[in-house]
Amino acid sequence: MAFIDIFNDIWSTLSNVDILIRIALSSVMLLIIVILSLWQNVGMETMFLWSFFRGFIQIVLMGSILTLIFDISKIWLLYIVLISMCVFAAFSISRRYRYPKMFLIELLAITSSSIFILTLVMFSGVPAAFEGIIPYPPQGEFIIPMGSMVISNTMVITSIVLERTKSDILKAKGSVEAALALGDSSTNAVRTILRDSYKAGLMPSTSRVAILGIVSIPGLMSGMIIGGVPPVEAAVYQIVIFLMILSSSFPASIIANALFTRQFFTKEHQFDLVFLNQLAKIEEEKNAQIKKNKKKMDKLKEKLRRKNKK
Amino acid sequence: MSKLNQVIIPTTCLYSLQAVDFVINDKKILSDISIDLEPGVITGIIGPSGAGKSTLLSLLNKLLSPTGGEIFFDGRNLSEYPSQELRKLVGLVQQRPHLFAGTVRYNLEYGPKIWKIKYSDEDLLELMSKVALPADFLDREIDGLSGGEQQRVSFARSLANQPCVLLLDEPTSALDIVSSEIIENTIKQLAKEGMKIIIVTHSLQQTQDLTEQLLFLKDGCFIEKTSTIDFFKKYDEEEIRTFFKSKTEEE
Repeated sequence: MAFIDIFNDIWSTLSNVDILIRIALSSVMLLIIVILSLWQNVGMETMFLWSFFRGFIQIVLMGSILTLIFDISKIWLLYIVLISMCVFAAFSISRRYRYPKMFLIELLAITSSSIFILTLVMFSGVPAAFEGIIPYPPQGEFIIPMGSMVISNTMVITSIVLERTKSDILKAKGSVEAALALGDSSTNAVRTILRDSYKAGLMPSTSRVAILGIVSIPGLMSGMIIGGVPPVEAAVYQIVIFLMILSSSFPASIIANALFTRQFFTKEHQFDLVFLNQLAKIEEEKNAQIKKNKKKMDKLKEKLRRKNKK
Repeated sequence: MSKLNQVIIPTTCLYSLQAVDFVINDKKILSDISIDLEPGVITGIIGPSGAGKSTLLSLLNKLLSPTGGEIFFDGRNLSEYPSQELRKLVGLVQQRPHLFAGTVRYNLEYGPKIWKIKYSDEDLLELMSKVALPADFLDREIDGLSGGEQQRVSFARSLANQPCVLLLDEPTSALDIVSSEIIENTIKQLAKEGMKIIIVTHSLQQTQDLTEQLLFLKDGCFIEKTSTIDFFKKYDEEEIRTFFKSKTEEE
């Protein structure tokens, strides 16, 4: 049933004359690119046509699925969508940084802090204060995009933080051991390292806030203004989003760091040699993979060079 | 200087190792080591590189735990001894200084701060004088110090905890002659004051000058414990030279 609904929805929208005119007008731009490509002998005409055709279909489908999700007004359903976004975020990070227990650490860190912040915002007065922009009581239309921004940024920031922590602990292994040898606890011995990792993770977002309005008008705000929201209201909304991102990422980073660094040490405040050995092996594999890829690239380049000569 | 450790220095047996093994990644670093160490003399740990000397040292202040066997410190099993408490009593000076970023003062205060003790400037200067560091170094950044000066700071940093046993892991191997001499003099002075010192060394001269008894390791096995004098009588010059060959020389 749902699928038929989706196609009916797409069809009724696309058969609208206004929309058809818009598509036709956009196609003129596509035509210009294709002509330019032909004229300059770039050879990208089919690629242009194909990728835009494909992208168009995909995004229209996506859009109609979004309408379904946006219509969700049952809170528990919204939470299921949000949590599955967190699971996916944690999963994709754990694929990229294959450190032991990475999936669990990220899942716990991202889910707990982003869901907490989103809940806080949903049930505080914020949505009500934005009456006219945000439907109240909160609906998928508002929660899902906001959630995706918060969750994806939290994911990226925690991964930067953990990567930094890992490399700094390995780099400063000698002085961490010196601190332990003085009788320091393992949590205290890595304190300065963690502090630096938070700086590394949070700095980019914070400096983005600092240059807001002067250098950049973020995509969200631009979109809202184009969509007809008064610029000042859009600006306030943008600030709320940035605050949500930071206030979700910071605690998520603290949780992730606490769980991650715990693995480096034993209960006796010693380096856990088994874990360090695991890390070293992962690092080795990664480097081997990079070398392999490089070799492949070199071979490809060589082939291309030969082809060009012919 | 305010007293940090009110602990009675062990009198009967400082360390007792019983059938100690240490295995990492299926590689046996130390196997079946049993030694009793009496307090009261500077003990040298010697042997060719790869013998497991540094590992043995790390076992003594529990930076590593043996994978087999037991170690007793002052009659107490190390596996039950709280790590932090043990390391306050048993200081370690690493081969390289590994100082904390900041000033000399920050480094010297680090240990006492763990035990919530604040040293006065006089206390800190007294510590620095033990390793012949001039008083105006106190508030200098460690980045500006030479390798020898950094190692002396590292030595003083360990002394700040007022340990009763000091483990030294080739403390002068990366130093010039002048700094080495200063540190050797400090070691002699500390021993005179009653500090128990265990030193891993590759230096023939240091072994003769400083130590009174030797633990001789080879390929992870304990060969013998002798007085330094007997050791030099027993082996001829050529043999002794191979025992003291350090990694850097081999390369």
